[in-house]
Order: sequence, then structure tokens, then C-alpha cells
Amino acid sequence: MAVEVRRSAVIGPRSDRANRNTTLALIAWAMAVVVYVVAHAADTEFSMFWVFGLAFGFVLQRGRFCFASAFRDIFLLGHARTMKGLLLGLAVGAVGFGLVMGRQVPMTSLGIYPPSANVLPLGIHTVLGGLLFGIGMVVAGGCVSGSIYRMGEGYVASWVAFAGVMGGLLVSAYTWNWWWEAHISRTQRFWLPHWIGHSGALVVTLLALAAVYVWVVSIEHRAGMVIPPVQPAHTQPESVADDLRSGARRLFVQGWPVLPAGAVLGALNVLLFTAKEPWGFTGEVSRWSIGAASVVNIAPGPLAGLESLPGCVLVPSDGRFFNHMLFLVAGMFFGSFAAAVGAGEFKIRVPKRPVRYAQSLGGGVIMGYGSGIGMGCTIGAFFSAIPSFALNGWVFGGFLALGAWIGTHIIRRID
Amino acid sequence: MSPTKLDVRGEICPYPMMRTVSALKKLTGDEQALEVVTDHAPALETIPTQAARLGFRTDIEESGASEWRITITRTEVEEGA
Repeated sequence: MAVEVRRSAVIGPRSDRANRNTTLALIAWAMAVVVYVVAHAADTEFSMFWVFGLAFGFVLQRGRFCFASAFRDIFLLGHARTMKGLLLGLAVGAVGFGLVMGRQVPMTSLGIYPPSANVLPLGIHTVLGGLLFGIGMVVAGGCVSGSIYRMGEGYVASWVAFAGVMGGLLVSAYTWNWWWEAHISRTQRFWLPHWIGHSGALVVTLLALAAVYVWVVSIEHRAGMVIPPVQPAHTQPESVADDLRSGARRLFVQGWPVLPAGAVLGALNVLLFTAKEPWGFTGEVSRWSIGAASVVNIAPGPLAGLESLPGCVLVPSDGRFFNHMLFLVAGMFFGSFAAAVGAGEFKIRVPKRPVRYAQSLGGGVIMGYGSGIGMGCTIGAFFSAIPSFALNGWVFGGFLALGAWIGTHIIRRID
Repeated sequence: MSPTKLDVRGEICPYPMMRTVSALKKLTGDEQALEVVTDHAPALETIPTQAARLGFRTDIEESGASEWRITITRTEVEEGA
């Protein structure tokens, strides 16, 4: 069948808009530099996490790297566009994490765990956490990282979803001690290098990622044709300045292809792990909601067992406002905002149908609860856990997929 | 005949695509085109694919700041298809 997709643009107002977008983006980046300087003076860790946050937010927005759609579109559309980028990001992460963990724990036979890698207790909470998170992210139209970068693009519903996530994390904090006593404290952590060494774990992880790749490509073929994104017509640049300008356009204005976006996210994750810890932020978001609850005296009491756990476990409020993770999350939001402004993709988008607010909030709460008991989201319990050679990452990911499948059925019934 | 219009501005992911698909399925035989207005950039990739699977071709025009008009036209059914 002949398939044709054409793109055209209204020429006049567009170039004016492009100039205005560039100016606004430069102002946004200048503000980001000011924040960097102020944060650097307070604590160098603040400014470093601010830069990481900006970079993650920028790449998420440019690559439209939505983890929820990566899972959902396999079932909804038979597309694996974003999933392919995600798999590449995991593979890049696995190689990098493998090198870092090899230095941290040279002797895997001693039964020691790498101190900051996301090797988490594996149990029913992992299964239920992944399942709830998968359902919630599809119903809400984005996971936690997706909601953060869409907040920066001006999606009002994503602000609602994020509020839901904060609420869900708070609810999970109320039930945490029950989970800890009844189940989590009795479960174990499983780190692949303990059984098959570092290189064995890397090979097994890469092979498993390749197997998933083959599976999703076969789904794409069963679903039939997929139209590649239409790239604007390519013309030979006439001068060096022209050439640089078209390079800048590819970087800042046109959407990034998903594979480079995934690879860069994986590489940034390795850099962040090398600097301090893997990418993840639901623990920080829980600190905000528990902190807000403590202001009105409804905070949960002390939470058991947290000090023994790595990754994105709940963080009780410590009474302080700033910490390095706040700069990471704020940076993700602001990096996406600056990227969207520069690309002319920022717009306040207000859903017209009331049901969208309900599903964003409800999906957010479900996601928040799932990430509370699952100790992370699509990032901390999955994108940072599989490269940690942690079995919990695979289990969480599998149930994310099942949850996304259920979520797909739910959104088909909500008009 | 002017094309049927569908405004999905403000919609959350993936409703711009889903509502376009259900509108395409509801087009009657003599309606040849659907005009969709969206402000959701990811839909520029999903709508052409889903439209093509249903036998339509897509024409995307940037109609404003972060806003696109997508014209979806029925393709002639090929012989033997």
C-alpha cells in the first residue's frame, strides 16, 4: 500500500517564532546558570545534581522519551519505538555499571553488595509495586519522569499526575511498617554477580536485553507497518555558519531519534552512578510529601528498615528544605522546560474533559503507591536496577509490562 | 465537501491518537478526509502510522506555536488489495 506523509509549514510567522524561541531559551539557560552559581556556593553537590537534572530533563524532552509509552505502545499500537531506545539505554547502563561495580566489589564470592547500586529486596512488594506502577502510568498518561518532563512542557494534567504521585507515596509511607514487618524484612536481595561473576552477569544481562529486543521487533512485524518519523528535507549547507546552524537545529529544535536519546540517558546514568548513586528520585518526592504532611501533623511515624536499603526507598522528612536530590528533580523539570521553549514545544495544555483530571490524579496515586512499596519507579526500580545486575529490576520490569497491558485496556474504556 | 474536523488540543497521551482512530473508523463512505488539530507532538508519529493501517494518508502542517493541523485523506483502494 502506498503510504504518504507530508509535512509543510506556514513560513512567515514561523521564522519570527523561531527567533523568539531562541531568545526565550537563552534566557532560560542563563537562569539555569545563575541557579548553578548560587547552588555551587552553598554546596558543590547541589550544583552537580542540578547539572545532571538539567541534562536528564533536556534529553527526555528532546527524545520525547516517555517510559509509559515505551511499554504501553507495544500493546496499544504494536510499536516498539521508545522500547528500543530504552533497551539500548539499559545496555549502555549495564556496561558502565558493570565497570563501576567491578571496582567497588572486586571479589564477588564474598557475598558483599555494591553499596549504592539498586539491588533491592525481591518479593511480593516488587511484583505488586511494578504492577500498580504499570497500570498507573498508562492511566495517568506518563510515569514519574514522564510527568516531570511534561510538566516542563506545560501539560497541566502532568502537574495533576505529579500531585497524585506525591499523595500515593504518602499513603505508601503509612503502610510501609506493615509491609516491612509482614514481608520485606524477610525477603532477600539477589545480585547476579554473586552467582556468575561480573562478566557473566554482564553477558547474561545483554543477552536478555537482546532477547527482549527480538520479542518487541516480532510484535511490530505482527502489527504491520510502522511509519518512521518524517524528517524535514535535507539540503546541503552552503557555509560553515549554515552547517553549524543546521546542527544546532537538529540538537535543539527537531526531536531526537530515540536510539541516541536512550544511549545518552544510559550514559548519563553511568556518570551519575560513578559520581554518587544511580538515577532515581521517588525517594526524594516522598520526602516532599512526608515533609508536607508533617507541617500539618499527619506525617507517618518512624519508618522501619530504611537505613539498610539502597535505591529510591522512602525518605522521611529531615526538616530541611534543600538537599542534592531536590536539585536533581528541579533540574529535570527545568531542563525539559528550557528544551521545550527552545524547540517551540512549550504550551500550557489544559484538558477539556473533566475525566482526564480524575485519571491523571488517580493514575498518579496508584503509581505513587507502587513506587513506594516497589522502592522506585521506571527509573530507580528498573532503568537503574537492571544495569545494577539486580534481579528485582527484571521482576519489576516484567510486572510494569503486565500493568501497562492492563492499563491499556482501562484507557480504551475511558473516552 | 469540507473535511470533518476533530479538535484534540489539550488532550493527554495517547488520546489524540485514539480519538483520531475512532473518528476515522466513524467516517462514512462519502467522507474522504478528516482534519485533526493537535498540540501533542508525539501524535505526529503515532497518527500517521495508525491512519496508514486504516488506509489513509497524512499531511501535517504546522499551524501555530506547538500546534499542528493533520489532514488525513482516504487513499484509493488498490487493485487486488
